[in-house]
Amino acid sequence: MACRTVCQLLQHRLASSAASVRLSAADVRGQRSAVFSREQARQRSLYPRTEKIEVTLQIPGLQGTLLVMNKGVSTPHSCARHLTEWYVTSSALALVDGKPWPLHQPLTQSCSLSLLTFKDSDPQMVNQAYWRSCAALLGQVLQDAFKEDFSVELLRVPEVLVTSGAFCCDVVLDPQLDAWNPSEESLRSLTRGAQQLIHRDLPWEPLEVAPPVALEAFSHSRCKQEEVEEKSAQSPKGTVMLYRCGDHVLLSGGPLVARTGLCSQYEVTAIHPLGEGEWGLHRRAQGLSLPLQQQAHHTVWRKLRSRAEKLVEVPTASANEAISDTLTPPSAPEQTPPHTAQQ
Amino acid sequence: MRLTIQMLISHGRVARKMGLGPESRINMLRNILTGLVRHERIETTRGRADEVRFYAEKLIDYAKKGDTDEKAMKMANFWLTEKDLIPKLFKVLAPRFETQPKAYTRMARIPNRENLDKAAMAVLEYKGNPFPPLQTAKRDNELTLINQLLKGYREERAQQAAAKVEA
Repeated sequence: MACRTVCQLLQHRLASSAASVRLSAADVRGQRSAVFSREQARQRSLYPRTEKIEVTLQIPGLQGTLLVMNKGVSTPHSCARHLTEWYVTSSALALVDGKPWPLHQPLTQSCSLSLLTFKDSDPQMVNQAYWRSCAALLGQVLQDAFKEDFSVELLRVPEVLVTSGAFCCDVVLDPQLDAWNPSEESLRSLTRGAQQLIHRDLPWEPLEVAPPVALEAFSHSRCKQEEVEEKSAQSPKGTVMLYRCGDHVLLSGGPLVARTGLCSQYEVTAIHPLGEGEWGLHRRAQGLSLPLQQQAHHTVWRKLRSRAEKLVEVPTASANEAISDTLTPPSAPEQTPPHTAQQ
Repeated sequence: MRLTIQMLISHGRVARKMGLGPESRINMLRNILTGLVRHERIETTRGRADEVRFYAEKLIDYAKKGDTDEKAMKMANFWLTEKDLIPKLFKVLAPRFETQPKAYTRMARIPNRENLDKAAMAVLEYKGNPFPPLQTAKRDNELTLINQLLKGYREERAQQAAAKVEA
């Protein structure tokens, strides 16, 4: 017993001393996914008995329909499956008691529920979640795209508005790649990687965790750990949201849409160097995407694409927060995702 | 199909031939127009709706002269076969279109009749009636993702154009 704790301590110490031990990317991914699965199993075991909650639907045409669901097990997605297939395939985000809620997050108390799609009268919240999800997908593609001997470090995903024309994902590549200039073919291969993920139709599984768990999951990345600490300090409950897509675990600043299959047209348009930063040469990967319900004609797509190639200017951190507080009403509530998963 | 009145006259056809003859045509149109004034929205074949539309507009023009005008009263008496509608024409419809110079009616095409003759159908209505609107609200939403992207694109183009003008 004592031996094991010592071992664990040692492991932890070794792991947290970080760069000294370079694990391969696949190992890191496996370890993060394992931590995620373990925490998910623990949170599920908090509800050993089947308890019932009442979910009132606030959907046009189904006003006030009452569904009796399982506490801590049923998600908005399982509510949608009690309705028609249209709701299952087209809903991207749920609104629980008026607050955005990921579609695969279990419900923990009786509530009112509405399902949001891209064709609602006011889809701004869904649009922003979609943009964030596309950026997350881009990060996942970049992480998988390089050979094992090149490290890829994903930085904080900047929150950009849809009207800026492209979603972006900041990344630091291996120092050996500093002189690399992405050609058109390499962008195309990244696009193909994203299309494969979209084709697999993976769900983004949300999980609200306490900072220690998140720190353990990101124990190989100093930069992510800092982000975890910052996010947990900002959120009123002191927790952070992790998402998993396939075996890629990521940290998100707001809710993501239900699954990758909601994207239809997707293209990685550019990778711009941003100059030397804290962690090495920062690069900004940009892309453009449209959901399955709204596809563009190729002439329109070409125009939007040519715009998405230009570098998106993101205001600095403090100004960014000010903007998201004032200018974008949908993103303001998303900064503090309301969750009651951990009791 | 009527393009313009001038066009119709130039081809020697001042009006469509319908019914059993000129008199029958007038009677048919009188009956339809009476129905239109009573219900304010009617459904009929497309040719008849198009034909009666002209008379429906003219009738309002006369009604706006007021019920003391001799010619206006004569026209109302002739075109409305049910006489209880004459007060409605002068008291309800004429004040409604007081400020509007023309175009008192609206016509919308609807699917062909379902029975054997499969006639082309239309809905004719006086504007400002109490029924729900014929055309539903504009479906294209400015806030959808693609429209937001296009809005950003247009704004950038406008900025570039402005910069070019200044330079």
